[in-house]
Amino acid sequence: MTEPGTGAASPLAGGAPEQRRPAAWGRWLAHFLVAPSGVLLFLAVWTILAIELPPSRLVSPYAVAVDLWNNFLRSPRLEVFGLGRTGYGALLLYTTRNVLVGLVVGSAVGIVVGIASARLRPLRLIVDPIVLVLGTVPVLVAAPLFLLWFGVVPFTQVLLVGGYSAVMMVIFAQRAAANVDPVYEKSAMARGASWRDRLFLVLIPGTLPEILGGLRITLASAWGLETFAEILGAPSGIGQAIKTLTNVNNVAGMLACVSLVALTAIIMDMLLVALARWVTRWA
Amino acid sequence: MLMVETQSAVSIDRLSVVFERDDGTRVQALRDVSLDIGEGEFVCVLGRSGHGKTTLLNVVAGLIPSYSGDVRVLGKPVKAPGVDRGVIFQKDAVFPWMRVEDNVAFGLRVSGMPKPERLRVAREHLDLVGLRNVPRAWPRELSGGMRARVAVAGVFASDPPILLADEPFGALDYVTRRQLQDVLLSLWERTGKTIMFVTHDVDEALRLATRVIVVSNGSVVEDQAVDLPMPRSDDALATPRGLELRHLLLHHIGLE
Ligand SMILES: Nc1ncnc2c1ncn2[C@@H]1O[C@H](COP(=O)(O)OP(=O)(O)OP(=O)(O)O)[C@@H](O)[C@H]1O
Ligand SMILES: [Mg+2]
Repeated sequence: MTEPGTGAASPLAGGAPEQRRPAAWGRWLAHFLVAPSGVLLFLAVWTILAIELPPSRLVSPYAVAVDLWNNFLRSPRLEVFGLGRTGYGALLLYTTRNVLVGLVVGSAVGIVVGIASARLRPLRLIVDPIVLVLGTVPVLVAAPLFLLWFGVVPFTQVLLVGGYSAVMMVIFAQRAAANVDPVYEKSAMARGASWRDRLFLVLIPGTLPEILGGLRITLASAWGLETFAEILGAPSGIGQAIKTLTNVNNVAGMLACVSLVALTAIIMDMLLVALARWVTRWA
Repeated sequence: MLMVETQSAVSIDRLSVVFERDDGTRVQALRDVSLDIGEGEFVCVLGRSGHGKTTLLNVVAGLIPSYSGDVRVLGKPVKAPGVDRGVIFQKDAVFPWMRVEDNVAFGLRVSGMPKPERLRVAREHLDLVGLRNVPRAWPRELSGGMRARVAVAGVFASDPPILLADEPFGALDYVTRRQLQDVLLSLWERTGKTIMFVTHDVDEALRLATRVIVVSNGSVVEDQAVDLPMPRSDDALATPRGLELRHLLLHHIGLE
């Protein structure tokens, strides 16, 4: 396919004639066939263990599924323990909302501060010690303190998740910005880019692959943190259910709640991966 | 006394640059460089590795603010980068996260040109460098030579009067390099821009330049007009005058 006008340059310019790649869905199909085998293996081991162990220690996945089904919309058992008219679903919604609000707000702050402090030395001198202290002191130690300060309200858990996400993302964003080759910013500057152009057209897209990788790790930790904060004390949430059901030795209910959190976390992680794949399709 | 004076595009007066390394040692990268480049000249800056070519170019580009001496571009002192100077960097600086046409249109975008118009200009320039087939490709899908073409298209699309190029074809194979030299020469002839082109390759300098500056240890040691007719075929460079210039330049960069 030689076009007139490209002259001697055309063999280099066009490369080989364009061919459609074998469709990407082929790889996806393989992915979908392989991935469930791990899940099946996990369930098999679980079932065998459940047969060996007494029901007060472990119950089968089937028993867990039944418990989940019966308690998802309304769980009279939880009402007895003072969680009000509720079911696993409503509690999960509370937990998910806290995770998302904390993650989104905290990460947004963290990413902006991280990128900015990577380029502005004075800001870095202020940010680094703060991140050092907050990042080194285990967050879980701060959880009871937050509970004392703000009481048993949703804000306490959101603050914990948000604060943690912010600190993590400052670290990820700083490192991502340090890894963007300075030649891109120089080139942008030489072509007349304002600081805003440099931020939005160079620094943010250039750091995005690493930042999204960091966000995945932060999201995974946020679930654990939120659930733990709820166990410690919260007005609602799946963590409260786990705590209550564990106290009364309800293994099936407890495992149902844990599975519910795990499943939601996995789905959100997959969504994030899909988003990251699309956003960084250039890489 | 009446003098008809053409304005100089770049004028450098007693320029010195000292770098301080992180370990505290100091390097004098440029020493008392004075130079005047007229509008429309194609000047090659020739010199061996580490002798200050990039530093000289970066000062003119406005990327090294802490120099001593006087550096002016189109009469104005250089303090920062500006749209009157386009730069092609020694390193590949094509943004991997933008499609080819968006890379070429970047300068136009930040200057506020509306999208349809800047994409039209970008495609025109992709055509000029022989890349009309790949406007929507990602840079990772291109070869090194194709990315070098994208960089060339990008600066010409922004249409700065002065072009600063730092060994833009340094990493390319011989044939590709020759092709891109021809592309650059035809763009230069068509637009009449002032070009400052850094290279360590004597033959490249002789093929392109109307004038060659040799930099050695941070000083200008030779300033030679290349009075060979364009376009310069291999035969034209093998004439007695061509060979004489070649020997002179090789001598100054430390050979023969
Ligand atoms: N940012 C910097 N900090 C410290 N020293 C530097 C810096 N940039 C350049 N130098 C030093 O200045 C001298 C000239 O470097 P320059 O990059 O201008 O060389 P060059 O002629 O472009 O070499 P090359 O052909 O290898 O690109 C070298 O000794 C180099 O070590
Ligand atoms: Mg150099």
